[in-house]
Amino acid sequence: MRTITLIDAIREAYQEELRADDSVFLVGQDIRGSIFPHTKGLVEEFGPERIVDTPIAESGMYGVALGAAQEGMRPIVDFMFGGFSYVTFSECSVTTGQYHFLHGSQHALPLVITAGVGTGQRLANDHAMSIHGTFAHHPGIKVAMPSTPYDAKGMFKAAIRDNNPVVIPWHMGIMMLKGEVPEVDEDYIVPLGVADVKREGSDVTVLANSLQLQHALKVAAELEGEISVEVIDPRSFVPFDMETLLRSLEKTNRLVIVDEDWESGGVAATISARVMEQGFDLLDAPVIRVTLPNMPVPGGYMEEYVAPNPQRIEAAIRAVCA
Amino acid sequence: MALTRDQMVILYRNLVRADHFNRMMYRRMMQGKLIGFYHPAEGAIAPGVGASTFLNKDDNLSPHHRGHGITHMLSKGIDIKYYLAEHTGKDTGCCKGRSAFHFSFPEHKVYMMSGFFGYNFAPSVGWGWAAKRRNQGQVVMNCSGDGSYGQGRAHEALLMAQNWKLPIIFFCENNGMSIFSTAGEMHPLPDISSLAAGFGMPAAIVDGQDVFAVAEASLAAIERARAGKGPTFIEAKTLRFNEHDIGTPDLSGWEQRSEDEHAAMREREPLAIATERVLAESVLSQSEIDALVEEAVMEIAAVEEFADNSEIARPGVEELLDGVFAR
Repeated sequence: MRTITLIDAIREAYQEELRADDSVFLVGQDIRGSIFPHTKGLVEEFGPERIVDTPIAESGMYGVALGAAQEGMRPIVDFMFGGFSYVTFSECSVTTGQYHFLHGSQHALPLVITAGVGTGQRLANDHAMSIHGTFAHHPGIKVAMPSTPYDAKGMFKAAIRDNNPVVIPWHMGIMMLKGEVPEVDEDYIVPLGVADVKREGSDVTVLANSLQLQHALKVAAELEGEISVEVIDPRSFVPFDMETLLRSLEKTNRLVIVDEDWESGGVAATISARVMEQGFDLLDAPVIRVTLPNMPVPGGYMEEYVAPNPQRIEAAIRAVCA
Repeated sequence: MALTRDQMVILYRNLVRADHFNRMMYRRMMQGKLIGFYHPAEGAIAPGVGASTFLNKDDNLSPHHRGHGITHMLSKGIDIKYYLAEHTGKDTGCCKGRSAFHFSFPEHKVYMMSGFFGYNFAPSVGWGWAAKRRNQGQVVMNCSGDGSYGQGRAHEALLMAQNWKLPIIFFCENNGMSIFSTAGEMHPLPDISSLAAGFGMPAAIVDGQDVFAVAEASLAAIERARAGKGPTFIEAKTLRFNEHDIGTPDLSGWEQRSEDEHAAMREREPLAIATERVLAESVLSQSEIDALVEEAVMEIAAVEEFADNSEIARPGVEELLDGVFAR
């Protein structure tokens, strides 16, 4: 195993899938010059025909992917920042999610939507909002988000090979996070819809993803000896691995859900409701959510105490165990 | 480019079929035998026929919504019985009865229709992009109305199509009306095709009531696209004889459209214009025309029989959930 960064792991996934399948291509804005390093060096190897820059026109840009996917290609569309997907939201949520189902499940739409997301850069709402919850609300779209370099490479490869639209943002707060990844060209995937127990524990389960997973692991390590914290990374939100979560709750009977989306209508609310419906008898305490308060993400120095952070996660763990 | 006699006969036959299909849909809507809306095509049947008749099976087509794309789709060789079955909620429908009045014929490269007007501009770029990558002469016929050209998406599609010289025909069916609002109020210039100049794209304006003129312009643009010379804008000036959709008032702005306006429009009925010409130029005799009409009537009877004899689609929720994602 080598140690590489999460953003390099994503780049390797692109590179290997681009080499393996001529129908795979990337479309975005300023990806040839790699505005973010996940596209670094790709245009040199694959050319501007497969690493495609468009004008600042998100609908047309997304349309390249949508139309090409209908034509049987496997596009990866990069919105740069997740918030920018809202500029063409009717296409990438409604039209994309309903396409297969509403037309009689006769024609697949294999495409990947990615973008940098998340708090931690003090950029404010447009550049910091999460998009996984919003996409997860629209049926017909798979939604996943990697938390480690290993998962990033395997999940991006799985997303590219999937026959459905897959939204797979990556968190800017962990883009330089290093981790072990198999050798180049040692093919593997991390299947979508499978959660991963990142740390075993017995007193409380914390469900967290991406940057917040790192926060949760840090808190769990600090509480060792006092509270035994199990940390689960859902990895995918659609489909969601309820089985792994319920199995954990059989042991811990307590749940904290950490999510960087807003409190209202986010995936944390959905997961909490499902736990109540399917695992009410497993719970010894009400589920606690650690989410973004219902305000636009502020920039500057306010972000660090408004967004979920280790202090808020620790407080939630202590409260649910009290 | 001048049309051959055979081409004129094919166009005329499709125009007769388009006219009769539109009448059938109108009748069924009034009889309560259609689900959802019907946006009648009377007065506007020639653009779809002229633009679509000479497309190949592997060319992309996104029909205009007027007449629910039937004039376009039948001209491209699609069997309308699967669409009528869809429009009546039947399990034999092109979308298994799930879509109400929408359609999808992926094997004919008619992928979708959406209520979000201008929805087809963004994917048209993708179809054109894929066609250019394949380099097998495939073209994209994007049929949209004057109203849809208000969408920013339209401008983005023109921009990218011309940047990349994509094989797309931007075929604007300008009937001067979007629901109640007039193109004169909603666009600053009288010709929607004047947009093309800003992108350096060639444009043509044709009489949308003359199916032969529409077909000539379309063939030229199709040939240009197939040759890799890039996109063309065609504006077919047409008319909407009826209200926007059956049951909606027939307003211009907020006032009833006048009888004078209707009388003037009726002078420009596309089937009458075509009939006069085929008879005058001896392309068809009256008895041959009568035979084409008889053929269309029989085709439509069979289409209705198919739809009416099909079962209503009522699959269980589990089966529907199973169809949300592809394998």
